[in-house]
Amino acid sequence: MDEGLAASVPGPFVTKRARFVGPHASSSSGADPEMEVRALVSMASGLYPLARAEALSGLASVLKKVNASGGVVECCYGSAVKLLRDEDEGIRLAAVRLVGLCVEKFAMREELGGDGDQMDRIFLQLSSMARDMCTEVRIEAFNALAKMQRVSDGVLLQSLSKKIIKTDTGSASSSKGKTLPPKLSFPCAAGIFAHGIEDEFYQVRAVACTTLGALAKLSNQYAQKALDLLMDMMNDDTEAVRLQTLHTLFDMATYGSLSVHEKHMHMFLGILMDANVIVRNAARKILGSVNLPKLQMFKSAVDGLIAGLEKNPEDQDIYGVLFSIGKNHGSFSANIARHLAKEINMASDGELILDKSRTKALLMVSVSAAYGDKDKKLDIPTVIFSHSIPLFGTISCALAEDEQDSLLSYLYCQTEMPFWEKKLVSAEGGDYECFSVETVGGTHAQIGKTEKTTKYLDEVVIMQSTRLILDTVKGAWAVIKPCSIGEVQSTLRTCKEEVNILDVNSSGSTGAFLSFVCDYLDAVQLIVEIWRFVQLDDSHAFGPTSLDILLEKLDTSVRRMKCCYAGLNRELEVQVLDFGLLAILCRLSEFGTCSKLMLDKLHWIINHIDGLCADGPYELSNFRKEVKKVFDGNFIDDTPVVNICTFLEIFDLRPATDFGMLNATTAVLQVRDTNSENPLSYVCGLPVGMTFDISLCNISSNDRIWLRMVAGQSIRHVFLDLSCFEGNDEVKSCSTVIPFYATPMACSFVLRACLVIECPFGSIGTHQEGHGGPRDCVVQLCDELDVYFVSADTDQRPWSK
Amino acid sequence: MSIDCLVLGAGQEVGKSCVVVTIGGKRVMFDCGMHMGHHDSQRYPDFARILAAAPGATDFTSAISCVVITHFHLDHIGALPYFTEVCGYHGPIYMTYPTKALAPLMLEDYRKVMVDHRGEEEQYSYEDIDRCMKKVIPLDLKQTIQVDKDLVIRAYYAGHVLGAAMIYAKVGDAAMVYTGDYNMTPDRHLGAAQIDHLKLDLLITESTYAKTVRDSKHAREREFLKAVHKCVSGGGKVLIPAFALGRAQELCILLDDYWERMNLKIPIYFSAGLTIQANMYYKMLIGWTSQKIKDSYTVHNPFEFKHVCDFQRSFINDPEPCVLFATPGMISGGFSLEVFKRWAPSEKNLVTLPGYCVAGTIGHKLMSGKATRIDLDKETRIDVRCQIHQLSFSPHTDSKGIMDLTEFLSPSHVILVHGEKPQMAFLKDRIESELGMPCFYPANNETVSIPTAQNLKISATEKFITNCSTAQARDSPRKSNLICGNHLSGANGDEKLAEGILLMEKCKAPKILCEDELLQFLGTEGHSVQFEPLLRSRIGEAETGIVDDLASE
Repeated sequence: MDEGLAASVPGPFVTKRARFVGPHASSSSGADPEMEVRALVSMASGLYPLARAEALSGLASVLKKVNASGGVVECCYGSAVKLLRDEDEGIRLAAVRLVGLCVEKFAMREELGGDGDQMDRIFLQLSSMARDMCTEVRIEAFNALAKMQRVSDGVLLQSLSKKIIKTDTGSASSSKGKTLPPKLSFPCAAGIFAHGIEDEFYQVRAVACTTLGALAKLSNQYAQKALDLLMDMMNDDTEAVRLQTLHTLFDMATYGSLSVHEKHMHMFLGILMDANVIVRNAARKILGSVNLPKLQMFKSAVDGLIAGLEKNPEDQDIYGVLFSIGKNHGSFSANIARHLAKEINMASDGELILDKSRTKALLMVSVSAAYGDKDKKLDIPTVIFSHSIPLFGTISCALAEDEQDSLLSYLYCQTEMPFWEKKLVSAEGGDYECFSVETVGGTHAQIGKTEKTTKYLDEVVIMQSTRLILDTVKGAWAVIKPCSIGEVQSTLRTCKEEVNILDVNSSGSTGAFLSFVCDYLDAVQLIVEIWRFVQLDDSHAFGPTSLDILLEKLDTSVRRMKCCYAGLNRELEVQVLDFGLLAILCRLSEFGTCSKLMLDKLHWIINHIDGLCADGPYELSNFRKEVKKVFDGNFIDDTPVVNICTFLEIFDLRPATDFGMLNATTAVLQVRDTNSENPLSYVCGLPVGMTFDISLCNISSNDRIWLRMVAGQSIRHVFLDLSCFEGNDEVKSCSTVIPFYATPMACSFVLRACLVIECPFGSIGTHQEGHGGPRDCVVQLCDELDVYFVSADTDQRPWSK
Repeated sequence: MSIDCLVLGAGQEVGKSCVVVTIGGKRVMFDCGMHMGHHDSQRYPDFARILAAAPGATDFTSAISCVVITHFHLDHIGALPYFTEVCGYHGPIYMTYPTKALAPLMLEDYRKVMVDHRGEEEQYSYEDIDRCMKKVIPLDLKQTIQVDKDLVIRAYYAGHVLGAAMIYAKVGDAAMVYTGDYNMTPDRHLGAAQIDHLKLDLLITESTYAKTVRDSKHAREREFLKAVHKCVSGGGKVLIPAFALGRAQELCILLDDYWERMNLKIPIYFSAGLTIQANMYYKMLIGWTSQKIKDSYTVHNPFEFKHVCDFQRSFINDPEPCVLFATPGMISGGFSLEVFKRWAPSEKNLVTLPGYCVAGTIGHKLMSGKATRIDLDKETRIDVRCQIHQLSFSPHTDSKGIMDLTEFLSPSHVILVHGEKPQMAFLKDRIESELGMPCFYPANNETVSIPTAQNLKISATEKFITNCSTAQARDSPRKSNLICGNHLSGANGDEKLAEGILLMEKCKAPKILCEDELLQFLGTEGHSVQFEPLLRSRIGEAETGIVDDLASE
């Protein structure tokens, strides 16, 4: 071994030493990558195509492991480039992939100051592969191109145009004094994207589109021209490509490299009308985030969106887009606001219909202008705000969740004053009826708007809306007069509907809260109904048992409130007990009888309320005082005369303001391996077992849960031992086999199974002990489940006879 | 060895494509077309020259190994019945399945027009066409056909029209590709040309658009759709005169798709006749269409257009807007002329014209200027007030595409045919300067002879191989420091050349062997000459090193 060579090229010993002392020593742990690379490189220039392909993919996996700054990258790059024009398409594919990886590594090195010419050269090499005959190679070439981090403008622009651009930067094709081989000159990048986007295979088109967008970061001039190509792709016949195009445009808009011109508007507006809802959505998303330089374009965009709204009324998120587009173009939307204000002022009553989507949309844009305008420079007519109140819900949907709070505070400061002022004036005027109607109507209009968009409403909005509803209920209660009960009833009904709408998509704590409010409203409704019933005094109009039914319903609803929610705070508990009290009073007044049980319960409740109120801030209301007065002491033998009407009149409905963290107690009951199509079989008269899957939510260990099974006349209760359940405090579940003994002598029957929870009044038991069922009244925790049975005894089957 | 290429047609012109290539003693005729512009003897290729170029052959059958037809256009197939039935060629004829299916339609249609309408002398009869087609052997894509012991041909997808193919032919080591007409960009119903990376001595390519670089098809489509949509939404009628095969389907797919997306309800009509029949062929030959159509046809055959209905003659005067496809394409007569007469006078209506119209047709008159009045004959005069939209859809590849294909195939030589002379000269320069390949564009009846490389199989002795591999193993540790070094671009440039002696003896396979083996073989002893250089140096070690090296040689 001669020393001259050893001195110029470090020998293996030197290399190893250098590697160990070098700063990147830790990265090359394990097998010796150098030997690997060397072996693979020599294999890559081998004779056999499969071996070459394998060698390239081997190099790729080595390359993934090593550090960016090292000769390995150059080494891999070199052998990949040699094989770019191989006859075998598998090898070309592997080679392009490897070059792609090298690009990544080079790009990392770029940060440390790399070689721009080299990147251009790689770009050109990859570009020439983007016209390969093999689809996979084309896809991979575009993928690799997307990784480029620095390419000169000239090369980029050339890649968009099929015509050869003659530029001075053509010198970029020669680097470090080495001139490139003739095949790798500028023209090979010519129009690769123009070809890519009209490729036969949609996969190639999609990936070309992605790459177009990814490279837009690198040059503004390029980005503008790329936009022209992307606009064309919106007419692509494959949906996936159209979507990818929109996605790319959105990315470009996010990076700020999207500047829309008038010539593009036609395309955008066209795609807003696309038959596919996903495409429409994506198009709108872009429109919401671009910057439109001219008022004319802004107006046409708004008009386009409105037209879309009219054509597809289900696209409610258009309002959101309108809001954000308006916010982005403050002065343009202020312009629209002024026009709209004029329109509003000119329109006589009834002419300007708020429900019309155009008006709504324009209001949206107008309001948004002020929202984005922190310095209050824009002059938005106040009439806009007073008209936008009903859009409360819609606007809130338009905002991201984190922004909703700020919207609320904003809207309140803009709209609250005129709104509540009106109410105050009416209240002072003393015209109760008028006030009630107006406020309730207003509130309903407001909440009605939220109806369509409930799924977006988050807790804050729900709370706000519910509070408004409860205020309405309170107001309605206050004005109950004999003649106005009907009106109050309809108000309550509407309120209940609103809550139900809010409830549709809520879950968790909010869901529990809403369902509690539902029960609460149920109870109020029932009480009002009972009141009406009592006042009418003509029970025949309702049938003989209807009061009975109403009372039973009230009981159930009170029990539900009492037992089916975990985490009731004291205020709520007192309210629930108030209702309980009222329910008992109703019974007493109706039947005039006073069973011991009833009085026991009454006393238990009174004592309980006393206990709750004793050390709290809640003073005893007139109603409770009166009840106490009537029943204190003298109930043992006497049957106190209860006039329910007096009680009802002094009962003041004060819905709670703080609901705390409510959790609904719920249960899911399922029976295994059967449905109405596949009934279980049984032998008449013999017990039959069923496997139930039970899961319970928010059940405390003190609760007593029963499984109730009803078949015809026979009822059976099975006590569920909570200790058999697995899970945490929140969710418990178990599956268990439960027998049903009293199978009827029939060829088939339906068993109705249901989970119920005991609802105790202290230690007062409703039912006799030893009865085999729950001691107290129960509340259903879930819907009844039908279990179908068919007799296994063929003789019993009518068709076999 | 060489490949001789005799251009009988489409040399420096467009029309009557016919190239006879002699390759390794085999003679193959690519295409056998007729020229639409001539009505005399120039109409057909000068077949007699084949016999002249083939000394010893008495008739065409013995002179030509096979005829290969690339696609069904008349300028590629028009002379075939004449050649087989009149000139008497009875050898094999190859064409793809769709070409075989559609060619008789085209030939018969043309024969009828010639004989019945223009009253010309019949060149070949219906029976001739029939007999000729019976001789055809159908080809499938990428199917390798052993024509005879030496000659192998294979077809590749060419786009252009349904069933168009590029033909690869190989005899021994000499290989060539004849492209026929092809399209490198896919359209709505046909894919782009596709071919393998082949080792070629010669590429014969069409060069219709040798100088033109077309812009993206998206822009063309967009303009077309915009014009049509604008017209129908204004209550107008759209007349699309089109040939039965190709453009009609392309435009119809485009419109049908657009109608679907934009949810338009305006009817699209197909005039009865050849178009319906052609649609049927398309439905059957779905495997030859583009990827998109192949992908989707399991769910829905794209040639079963959702919005297309048959046209009734009574619809012509209906006031409602509609779109109508009518043959023939250049409004040279027939149904499209009838409709044009009715619709042209209204400003609301639109007529779209194909990219190219033959002089003398109404289409040509409309294109050549804003004609307001067309005199059909002495009695009929049409006031043209409708809008005219010119389509620029073309199934030929552009200059960029030709360059791309040539670059991809990297043949040793290129011959251009099927183009116009000045443009071909331009393209020839580009190919020679940019790709560094010798390029020719012979005129009709000229012959180009190109040399081919011949591969030689040699065997190597065991010792030679051992020597090579040990040398490589010894050298490899020298190029090191891959991990830390940044300057090692030379690490790959190790063109390891092994040295040896090639020994070619008469009647024996050539052999490569080592130096000392040669001595052994020759039975002589080696003489060594030693040099003793005198170097003035203080480093004794270095000196001895060099001396050692020299001594070992």
